[in-house]
Amino acid sequence: MWYRSASFILDKQQQQQQQNDTVTNPESRPLSPASTAMAAENPNANISMYYQTRAAHHGVVTNDWLAQAQAAVGGNTDDSVSDNYVSGGEEENKRYSVVDEFNNWRKQPELAEAVAAIRALASVIRSSQATTMMELEIELKKASDALKSWDTTSISLTAGCDLFMRYVTRTSALEYEDFNSAKSRLLERAEKFGEISYKARRIIAMLSQDFIFDGCTILVHGFSRVVLEVLRTAAQNKKLFRVFCTEGRPDRTGLRLSNELAKLDVPVKLLIDSAVAYSMDEVDMVFVGADGVVESGGIINMMGTYQIALVAKSMNKPVYVAAESYKFARLYPLDQKDMVPALRPIDFGVPIPSKVEVETSARDYTPPQYLTLLFTDLGVLTPSVVSDELIQLYL
Amino acid sequence: MPDVHSLVNECVTKLKKRKVEGSKATAKLTAELLRSFISQQRLPHSNQAGSLIDAVKAVGEKLIAANPVELAVGNVVRRVLHIIREEDLSLTTAAVGGLSLAAESDDEDDTEHDDHPVLSATAVAAAARNALRPPSLQTLLEDIPHSVAAPHTSSSGGDSEGKSKSADKNSVTRKLKHNVIEAVNELIQEISTCHEQIAEQAVEHIHHNEVILTLGSSRTVMEFLCAAKEKKRSFRVFVAEGAPRYQGHALAKELAARGLQTTVITDSAVFAMISRVNMVIVGAHAVMANGGVIAPVGLNMVALAAQRHAVPFVVLAGVHKLCPLYPHNPEVLLNELKSPSELLDFGEFSDCLDFGSGTGSPLLHVVNPAFDYVPPNLVSLFITDTGGHNPSYMYRLIADYYSADDLVVRGKSTS
Repeated sequence: MWYRSASFILDKQQQQQQQNDTVTNPESRPLSPASTAMAAENPNANISMYYQTRAAHHGVVTNDWLAQAQAAVGGNTDDSVSDNYVSGGEEENKRYSVVDEFNNWRKQPELAEAVAAIRALASVIRSSQATTMMELEIELKKASDALKSWDTTSISLTAGCDLFMRYVTRTSALEYEDFNSAKSRLLERAEKFGEISYKARRIIAMLSQDFIFDGCTILVHGFSRVVLEVLRTAAQNKKLFRVFCTEGRPDRTGLRLSNELAKLDVPVKLLIDSAVAYSMDEVDMVFVGADGVVESGGIINMMGTYQIALVAKSMNKPVYVAAESYKFARLYPLDQKDMVPALRPIDFGVPIPSKVEVETSARDYTPPQYLTLLFTDLGVLTPSVVSDELIQLYL
Repeated sequence: MPDVHSLVNECVTKLKKRKVEGSKATAKLTAELLRSFISQQRLPHSNQAGSLIDAVKAVGEKLIAANPVELAVGNVVRRVLHIIREEDLSLTTAAVGGLSLAAESDDEDDTEHDDHPVLSATAVAAAARNALRPPSLQTLLEDIPHSVAAPHTSSSGGDSEGKSKSADKNSVTRKLKHNVIEAVNELIQEISTCHEQIAEQAVEHIHHNEVILTLGSSRTVMEFLCAAKEKKRSFRVFVAEGAPRYQGHALAKELAARGLQTTVITDSAVFAMISRVNMVIVGAHAVMANGGVIAPVGLNMVALAAQRHAVPFVVLAGVHKLCPLYPHNPEVLLNELKSPSELLDFGEFSDCLDFGSGTGSPLLHVVNPAFDYVPPNLVSLFITDTGGHNPSYMYRLIADYYSADDLVVRGKSTS
């Protein structure tokens, strides 16, 4: 069974404890990270923290979740937790606090990952004792590495950290002769970045309005807050359109999205993932978000996006991607397996014999030739523009 | 200035009544009008660029509204706006560079400058340059507000040495207008000579014993083919007549007069002949930001035939045809429906086209669109004044020639 953590902060401390002790006892710790639980069923499971903690945002309560919640509150004593704090060295505390800070920011459902990362790095700057830019840079690098290693599979997290580090090392930021003013400037920009996230979604929503015409049918896959903003703005502008949502197994993204859309009075139709080709005839355009936009102009998104893009392309339907610009990452996957694997357990509802393997990857790569346009806060872009933008930033 | 207003209104009427048609003619008309408008414009002391931009936007809005399908008008307006911003930028960076040098030498000035964050001139210049470029990843975080640059110049303007500085400022004012008008002159020159620039590249693309297909008549294509002929290339041309205006006939006559072996075919025969063709060369009405082409009607069909038989589809377009907008629903919104009389003779069909029968709407409808939309994946190459480019490269040219702020040309409402 996939164990969802009742509170991801507790869960994280659990993991910390586990790393310290060598003996793990799955029965007495119902909250043990899914990796050990899954290890029993699936030898090559390596559940990414990203999907684990995202579960906390799901708001779907099941019985076993409740059971674990109760166990978590009862089973885990605070002593062991505080011990960890005390025993941890300076470095560990630092690392702890960055990731904690990050998790704190991530609790806000509206805040994007990359923005939370940058805010966490900003807090590092604020609490830093450095007196020169070099020192500050080194501290930031350590913190950024810590964040990245906490979840190696999340692309927007990596991209956000890289973007901020890049900004810190650029000479224009160092134009200031006075260290304190430079530091305060860095802080100010990092704080402002949070607003950018929200503004970015609004800009993207504005840009995509022209592409949604009255009477159109939009196919949506996955639960992207950006795409939701686009549709919300269109509904507010009194556009008449209907939405097809794919179910989005096993995350049930379609159910959540259809909930949100129903609140907006937008006609929604739920499709099972296999019904996409069947309904593609009636569809006018496909709208997806992105976990990351890679150098080739392709996107990495929830499993199933590539499939839908293939069907759409073969039937001449445009595929639009809504992604903020800080999701541009310096990756160039050559095929589907060329990325850091992000695995997530799938609950089939019935027990699977142990000999049967399950494909548990949570995301896929859609090459740029299947995408029509990308809506970003930098404007409407064709996929070929992405590499140009990245070159401008990193060279 | 009543003179300027009457000039503007005259141009607006010309555009509305379609007295001036075709991208080159309208582009030239717009550019010349804006030049006279700017030269007659009286600019205030501070923020001249801003007021000039507003004024041009107001005029531009009127011009664009007169003929929204003629995208060249909007293109030229946006080019001029971009020119104004660029000239203003280069002047301010020169001014800042000069003033900061003067400031460093004088102790009095330093105390004034303490109020502002200590920025070197290069930082301000870099920031201002970023403000001009379209938003990018690096400008996301970098956002030094424009107001920082302004107090810098104004504080040094309020000096006791104000007189010499204000004299400088006056010359700055005059310089801006002067520079802008020079640049607009260059733009007009560029529009006039776009044919020659494109024709120069003909030799690289047309080789011996090739068969070229074209549809309708485009002056750019004609000059292109003739330039290749001048350079002693021998090749044949198939000209599809381009119903319903049959401009292909005129083109065929011209080409034959220049000594080129020409064949006239109907539009419907294009698919039959395309397998015998080496290359398709056509002109365009406008090129959109995604690389899609607004072309005379019939060219979408030719493009599809060319793709089917793996024949390169080359589009010749002057830079003034490059439009920074994305086409959504171009078949309807960017199209013009011409008169049905070009297709059907009213005398013969008057009873079918009669409004008085039964439901009050005629049983026979005639649709005569002027343009076609060719999606970017069907185009192999764009040849512009600056050289040959991929459709996916168009965004770069757009970023060079236009500013992101000018995408929507709307004059500020006078309250």
